[in-house]
Amino acid sequence: MVIGACAPSLHEQTFRNTVMRAGLNPYLYYHVGIREQDSWVHSDDKEGATEKAIRLLAAGIAKARLLTPLEPIHLGAERHALVIGAGVAGLRAALDTAQQGIHVTLVEKASFLGGRMAQLNSIFPSGEAAVDLLKQLIHEVVEHPLITVFTQAKVTNVDGYIGNYEISIQQDGRGFQSDIEAEALMAACTQEVPNEFDYGITKRKVIYRACKNCYPPLPAVDWENYNGEPIQVDGKSIVLKNEPKLFNIKAGAIVMATGFDPYQPSQGEYGFSELPEVITLPQLIRFLALNHDKKELIWNGRKVRDVAFIHCVGSRQIEGVDEPQPDGQVNNYCSRVCCTATLHMIEELNKLYPDLNIYDLHEDIRTYGRGHEDYYLRVLESKARFLRFTGTERPIVMAAPSGDTHPVLVHIKDTFTYGDEIEIAADLVVLAVGMVPRTVDDLVQMLKISRGNDRFLLEVHPKLRPVETSVNGIVLAGTAQGPMNIQESLTAASAASAKVATLLGKSKVELPPFVAHVDADKCEGDGICIDICISEGALALVTFGENGNEVKRAVVTPANCAGCGACVGVCPNRAIDVQAWTLAQYEAMVDAIAMDYDFAEEVA
Amino acid sequence: MNNRLDPKILKELKEYGAVGIEKCFNCGNCTATCPLATDDYPFPRNVIRRIQLGQREHLKRQLDPWLCYYCGDCSNTCPKGAEPGETMMSTRRWLTAQYDWTGLARKFYTSAVWEIGAILFVAFCVVLLFVFFAGPMETDHTALNTFAPVHAVHIGDWIMAGFLSFFLLTNIFRMYLFTIVQGERTPIPISIYITEAWHLIYHFITQKSFDKCDEQQKGFIKKTRWRNHWLLVSGYVIMLIMIVGFLPWFQTENIYPIYHPQRWLGYYATIVLLFGAIDSLWGRIKKTHQMHRFSHMSDWIFPILLILTTISGILVHGFRYLDMPLPTYYSYVIHLAVLVPMLVLEVPFGKWSHLAYRPFAIYFQHVKAKALEQERTSEAFASTGSD
Repeated sequence: MVIGACAPSLHEQTFRNTVMRAGLNPYLYYHVGIREQDSWVHSDDKEGATEKAIRLLAAGIAKARLLTPLEPIHLGAERHALVIGAGVAGLRAALDTAQQGIHVTLVEKASFLGGRMAQLNSIFPSGEAAVDLLKQLIHEVVEHPLITVFTQAKVTNVDGYIGNYEISIQQDGRGFQSDIEAEALMAACTQEVPNEFDYGITKRKVIYRACKNCYPPLPAVDWENYNGEPIQVDGKSIVLKNEPKLFNIKAGAIVMATGFDPYQPSQGEYGFSELPEVITLPQLIRFLALNHDKKELIWNGRKVRDVAFIHCVGSRQIEGVDEPQPDGQVNNYCSRVCCTATLHMIEELNKLYPDLNIYDLHEDIRTYGRGHEDYYLRVLESKARFLRFTGTERPIVMAAPSGDTHPVLVHIKDTFTYGDEIEIAADLVVLAVGMVPRTVDDLVQMLKISRGNDRFLLEVHPKLRPVETSVNGIVLAGTAQGPMNIQESLTAASAASAKVATLLGKSKVELPPFVAHVDADKCEGDGICIDICISEGALALVTFGENGNEVKRAVVTPANCAGCGACVGVCPNRAIDVQAWTLAQYEAMVDAIAMDYDFAEEVA
Repeated sequence: MNNRLDPKILKELKEYGAVGIEKCFNCGNCTATCPLATDDYPFPRNVIRRIQLGQREHLKRQLDPWLCYYCGDCSNTCPKGAEPGETMMSTRRWLTAQYDWTGLARKFYTSAVWEIGAILFVAFCVVLLFVFFAGPMETDHTALNTFAPVHAVHIGDWIMAGFLSFFLLTNIFRMYLFTIVQGERTPIPISIYITEAWHLIYHFITQKSFDKCDEQQKGFIKKTRWRNHWLLVSGYVIMLIMIVGFLPWFQTENIYPIYHPQRWLGYYATIVLLFGAIDSLWGRIKKTHQMHRFSHMSDWIFPILLILTTISGILVHGFRYLDMPLPTYYSYVIHLAVLVPMLVLEVPFGKWSHLAYRPFAIYFQHVKAKALEQERTSEAFASTGSD
């Protein structure tokens, strides 16, 4: 059956189902896209378009003659999912998946659960405490019988394919004999490093509890920074040793919930890391979480009277204006959460320190979510002042001359004030930094998933398959995919888990049959196809016993084959074909397209 | 110019009666709707923005507030309820205090104790003067000029006129310093000041800019706001001229016939002053018009003093005609005890100072425009010459 209609992407499946209902094999169907490929692009030449349609349909008919009945590939699937990353998205995805009766292994690199959300204080749009919400979620996750949690662990190897991934997980050793010893060692430890949990504004020991309410609430050793020196406890001298453990699991699907990092401004960007009064919004959030009970806001030994917030730092960068990132690209995307986060912070500051003068320097305010605009409207009516710059003329932050009333000066050409150059004297400049994806190069390599130009993990199609990657069985959850707020991360996580449940719910997965197929009679086992193949594990030479002789033949593992056809092109014996797209079918199509037609007669 | 922001200025303006400035999100509807705003003077937004940010120096140099006549269209069309019209009004009060070098204007505008205390103090001084220096009170017939000899009162008038002129003129000079000298890059040639001087007189007499405020109306009669204000000013000017220039002719034992200018000019001025002041007071009580929705203390005190002055003046006149000596003398003392503080305090330090600042602002506006035009012409000429 051949249909000439719109592009196959929309309705090919519809017609396959029709063919199936009529009692035919659904793959005895070919769909010719004469709308996108013809009528739309040649609307100026009706006759020519009609001729092209005839040729395309003729080619389709020629191919259809050679179609053979095919069966979808059925694979057994492990009812077990691996979730990488135990931030709020990973926790949600793990819980939702487990609640559908699927085993989950949750792997977290850090020593605690909760990820970036654990570092937040009050969160928009509800003003609830992030820690309280997380506590509840973590409690449900760790209590769930189908979820296994690994902290201080990482995925070291992944083999296999959808339904049948074989995964190696390496977990760092705890380093302690007992919890009591752990507490004693932590108390005795003297080696300090900048505390990444507070974005470097505080220090912590290398034996540490990441935060007050963290789960698990046990001290952990920072193996990366621990200098190996002995620690003196009760007259004993103890040297800690990392004895990692290796776990191998089998999983049917993988959820990438690897999250984001706040953008780290470059040296001197808006004075960052040159002026101590220039900090990032996440740093201020941590600072307030630690100091919210203080009557005055003191930064760097000075009472803060004037604060300037600068939006879009590390986001919406412009090529030729902004320094490119290490990969040569600029972060031209909007990080989406920083506007409302900044306004939320301003509102918090207004409540805590009513005498503070607050300046909001923005290019645009993007409070797109439900309830977010209310923050803008409320802050607008507070005494906070909004100034607007353009992408090509950003504010300049500099040290004030000695003897000035304030340590920092910010110069801005304010488009709200007729483009006048305005000077703001500030005690604190807060950079509303955007999001960049977590560095997960090793995982991307291992899993063969794609990244966008913005380095975030890429979905197959933003609308039709928004949480799936181009690799079957690997789905995305949360900010690994792009900037999202907590609400959106949770939505994405639930969607990812729904996708996992769809894949693994029947304990088997069904894949389309458009994969390479070897004609064992023609194959001579010279292995060129294996060299050219880009899908790992799709093709292999297998030794068979044939008439008493050992022969090598190429064998396809259909689940791993992407159906790209590279092998077809190199085989000297025409022994390999992509099913439903065979060389013979292509030749028939080319012949039909190139055939002479008497169009005058046909059209008449 | 120092362009550093001074966040204190918003709070300061609130003391002068500003409301709602924080609500402004800079859409510019107010300026778009204003019949008087121009590209060079894009008020009210220009004024509100400077206050919102805290551009003190910029605000001090502005003529914009004086070019606004408070029709209220801006406040009516403001989508945020930021009350731009009232901001302009408050900025005029603030500017009056900036121009005033004595610091009294600031005290009067921001403190009811100072304002009312000062009025009572001057009134008390006037009463004291009568207690110690007044002539005998003849009781068989009314002899006002015996009780208060006209030449003595006239000298008092001149002293008072000199006093308020001195303060008003020095304040105008400071206005000139702020708005012209500090605001211009190059000095403006004297000739421009002379050629443009007619604007000062013309606008002082006609208050012509006012007529744009009810633009949809045509003609003097229908443009009620301009008309009422003009009538009020005419009454006030006539009275001032008669008191300061021709007091012996005005305060006399002679009773002139009704067609004599002394009679009908006096009646005319009394009627328009009373009508104007009551109209203003009534408007503020009813709050029907946008410009009357917010009333600062100074907005109440001025019409009240004006009404009291007019009524006490009517009483003096009436009692004298009825030949009632003692009521005449007492009402005369009361009349002066209201009139003197009103003039001495309101003209140089208060709301009434706008009689000078408004025409001067229009004058300065034209001087600046002319200077810029000349500068551009000579630049164009210079650049043509060099080709």
